[in-house]
Amino acid sequence: MTDILTLVFRTFTSQTDGSEELTGPPTSPATCSALLVGDAGLSRSVLLLAAVTAASEVGVRVVFFTQTRIQSLPPCLQKRKILFSYPRTMEELLQQVARLHEPTNTSPAPPSLIVVDGLEGFLCERGAGLAGFHPGEQSVQAAHLSALLCDSAAFLTRVLRSRSPGADPCRVVASFQSPGDGGRAGGEASAADPTLEVLDRYFRVRCTLDRAGSYEAAAGGLHEVWDIYLSGTGMADASDTT
Amino acid sequence: RKRTGVKNAFVFTCSGRTAFSRYSKDTPGNFPKLKFVFGSCALQALDLVDHHSVTCLSSPSGRKAFQVIGGSGRLYTCFASCHYCPCPAFAYSVLRRNDGLLCKHLLAIYLCEAVGGTLQESVSDQQMSALLSGTAAP
Repeated sequence: MTDILTLVFRTFTSQTDGSEELTGPPTSPATCSALLVGDAGLSRSVLLLAAVTAASEVGVRVVFFTQTRIQSLPPCLQKRKILFSYPRTMEELLQQVARLHEPTNTSPAPPSLIVVDGLEGFLCERGAGLAGFHPGEQSVQAAHLSALLCDSAAFLTRVLRSRSPGADPCRVVASFQSPGDGGRAGGEASAADPTLEVLDRYFRVRCTLDRAGSYEAAAGGLHEVWDIYLSGTGMADASDTT
Repeated sequence: RKRTGVKNAFVFTCSGRTAFSRYSKDTPGNFPKLKFVFGSCALQALDLVDHHSVTCLSSPSGRKAFQVIGGSGRLYTCFASCHYCPCPAFAYSVLRRNDGLLCKHLLAIYLCEAVGGTLQESVSDQQMSALLSGTAAP
């Protein structure tokens, strides 16, 4: 997943003097799942860019789960390989992700990128009626959904490679905003959020997006400057293998 | 109770799903090592193995999942490629307190896979989806 994110950031940001050229770790199992944290609006934009980039530049099928309906798509995107799905509840999301293995979703080609926009919106429900859970336990719901996403991606990777031995793995990316995240500087956000700690168990890479206090106002236009932090156990594992 | 099913299971590491080798006749019993690494749930997991409590479910799509019959008779569905169990012990000890690596159900799965003690069962794709999402009838 970090390879697609790196491509997005490289494509849609401008290189200024003194900034490092964007490079990311090679694709590996350690970097196939990524969690975007920070500003919700920013994360959603990055997820959409990632989906478009994956479909158009990398040429893979994408499944995009979100509670907020996309109002309109540019004509050039309407025939792209992106399937938008709008589950309203955690239960619906779990059911739709769980069905990704069924033949209707793997033919003619299985998805290679699974996107979930706004995990916090699904996790805020209480008592979704899931078997074996204590109602209202956000951390348990987070673990179930995250594990299902990762297990689904692992299965789809096997399907992709059974059809094409050199195929890249199926990637997962999701966004999550902790309560009170807005306004915090990057790196400080969500430090003690138990739900985020659970999500970190399953998403090997965390991508922190921060634009608070980072505006460059210039005559004739505004330029937004984002601070992007890539962290997590997946980054360390990927570095060890290079 | 004699634990012939797992007396030759040998722990290589305690990380991920590579923790156990396959059954090896030349490897001595390593229950103390299991208990050292996994704590009190090691004995409970071995008990589940002895009772043949672990089943690998397969569907026509090729998707797999594990189902474990807990001590209370309740069924727990676990994933094939990452750590997750819907039992209260996993939620409390692993997720909330970070006290342990696994619950007894997950450890039982690893042990059964290592010694070839997993039962096999086929389900439909739709049944598999319901089990994975946690919406199947108990």
